[in-house]
Amino acid sequence: MGKILAIIKKELLVYFKSPIAYIVLIITISVFNTFFFTIIDQNKESTLRDIFLVMEFLFMFIIPLLTMKVFSEEKFSGTIEFLMTTPTSNTQIVLGKYIGSVLFFTAIIIFTFVYYLIIEIFGAPDRLEVFTGYLGIWLEGAFFIAVGVLTSSWTRNQIVSAITSYVILFLLYFSMIYVKYLGGISYDIVHYLNTSAHLKNFAQGSVSVSDIVYYLSGILLCLLLTRVSIENRI
Amino acid sequence: MINVQKINKYFGDFRALNDISFEIGKGEIVGFLGQNGAGKTTLMRILTSYYLATSGKVEIDGQDIVKHSLLCRKKIGYLPENPPLYMNLTVRDYLKYSASLKDVEIKKQKLQVDKVIDSCSLKDVQNKNISILSKGYKQRVGIAQSIINDPQVLILDEPTIGLDPLQILQVRQLIKRIEDKRTVIISTHILSEIEQIARRVLVIKNGEILIDRPISALLDEGHLLRFVFVIKGDKAAIEKVFSSSKEIIKESFESTNDVHSVKVQVLQDWTSHNELIQKIMREKAELVEIRKLKPSLEEVFINRVERE
Repeated sequence: MGKILAIIKKELLVYFKSPIAYIVLIITISVFNTFFFTIIDQNKESTLRDIFLVMEFLFMFIIPLLTMKVFSEEKFSGTIEFLMTTPTSNTQIVLGKYIGSVLFFTAIIIFTFVYYLIIEIFGAPDRLEVFTGYLGIWLEGAFFIAVGVLTSSWTRNQIVSAITSYVILFLLYFSMIYVKYLGGISYDIVHYLNTSAHLKNFAQGSVSVSDIVYYLSGILLCLLLTRVSIENRI
Repeated sequence: MINVQKINKYFGDFRALNDISFEIGKGEIVGFLGQNGAGKTTLMRILTSYYLATSGKVEIDGQDIVKHSLLCRKKIGYLPENPPLYMNLTVRDYLKYSASLKDVEIKKQKLQVDKVIDSCSLKDVQNKNISILSKGYKQRVGIAQSIINDPQVLILDEPTIGLDPLQILQVRQLIKRIEDKRTVIISTHILSEIEQIARRVLVIKNGEILIDRPISALLDEGHLLRFVFVIKGDKAAIEKVFSSSKEIIKESFESTNDVHSVKVQVLQDWTSHNELIQKIMREKAELVEIRKLKPSLEEVFINRVERE
């Protein structure tokens, strides 16, 4: 556990020492603010339901920028050789790096709690719906991060890592377009793999085991593949 | 301490290492020599378990490096060719991070970090970002991380590459300071460096071990002998004496007034030295000194590699 904590600490230290983290943070919060006030103004409802869906869409663009350097930079700079020759297991390395990114992402989410405070002060929101919505967006972000960490382990080029993440996330997000007119099992499979279908349930206050299993199994699969990827150095 | 048995390493169809076997004892300091692409770095990466060998076995302190990878890694300090540094971290933060990953007890981490900062002369820069340090300092930080957990085996891949002469001297002095009681493997292109640091040399060529001998034995087995003759007398006559012998290769001829210094090379089984001395005497020249020159490791290395 000590080594995982050391890696988490180092990841966060590197995040907060790099300008890209602050740029991402500022841009994200500014865009969220704009959408929050626009949506509230249009709907005149004390709910964050639509905000969560906007967050999901924006995180699809933002998270690959956060995760693109997780392993790519280590490969590019050669520090991966240091990391992999210390008495640290591959699982500890993957978990440390993953949790570090999730904590940074959680910090972004915490900044948006102010939206809840606003609707709590000026309205009477459904607190359970807000809670499940936050749980859903956090789980989805954690899943997107796992995808980003995986693609980052495939290449030493950060841009290639980000683009690969975008391709995977876009496929998961827009997959329903491709099977719109299909039926049967192929439709069911793609519908299950589609990310937004799961978040919609969370945003509406209904949480099912199937939705939680979707995110958790996605995270687990990506982290296992990342472990395999860093093990196969040649 | 290190036991390597019949290691082979393939990258696709390319055979980078071919049946490499050797043993290195506790406290031994061994230099890896070889041209670029000879396989030194690949071998070092296998010893540190960064690469897996295609076949063969490596044991560190009696433990198999594949079966007990984490245990073996605990015993090894490694400085890759390019020092693995996180540019955004300060020297102290980086060394603390290294200590955490290398199983240094939490209570002892601060003490250990202070110790390596001191031994690697990093006190002045300990709170500076690594990105702004000079190449020499970066190299020292790389060495500091490699010894943070007091490893029994220290593997240094080209520790002085790209440094200026002063920095090379500083790093060399640092290695001398830290080599105490450790098994050290050092790879470098600077042969004089190996001569000063190591006791034994392993020369690798095309993925195979060409030479595995103590440096002293290697220097004694030089193919050619070199002598300096200091002679007082007529320049033309002396030049004639040295030109007339087919067994002698004249390297240089330097004169100061009527004292001449002639540097020559002869084969190891050269026996006609008496004849040469008599010839010099016949020319009424005075033989002031004959000095045997010790071949440098560089000369022996080039000679052997060229011969093979």
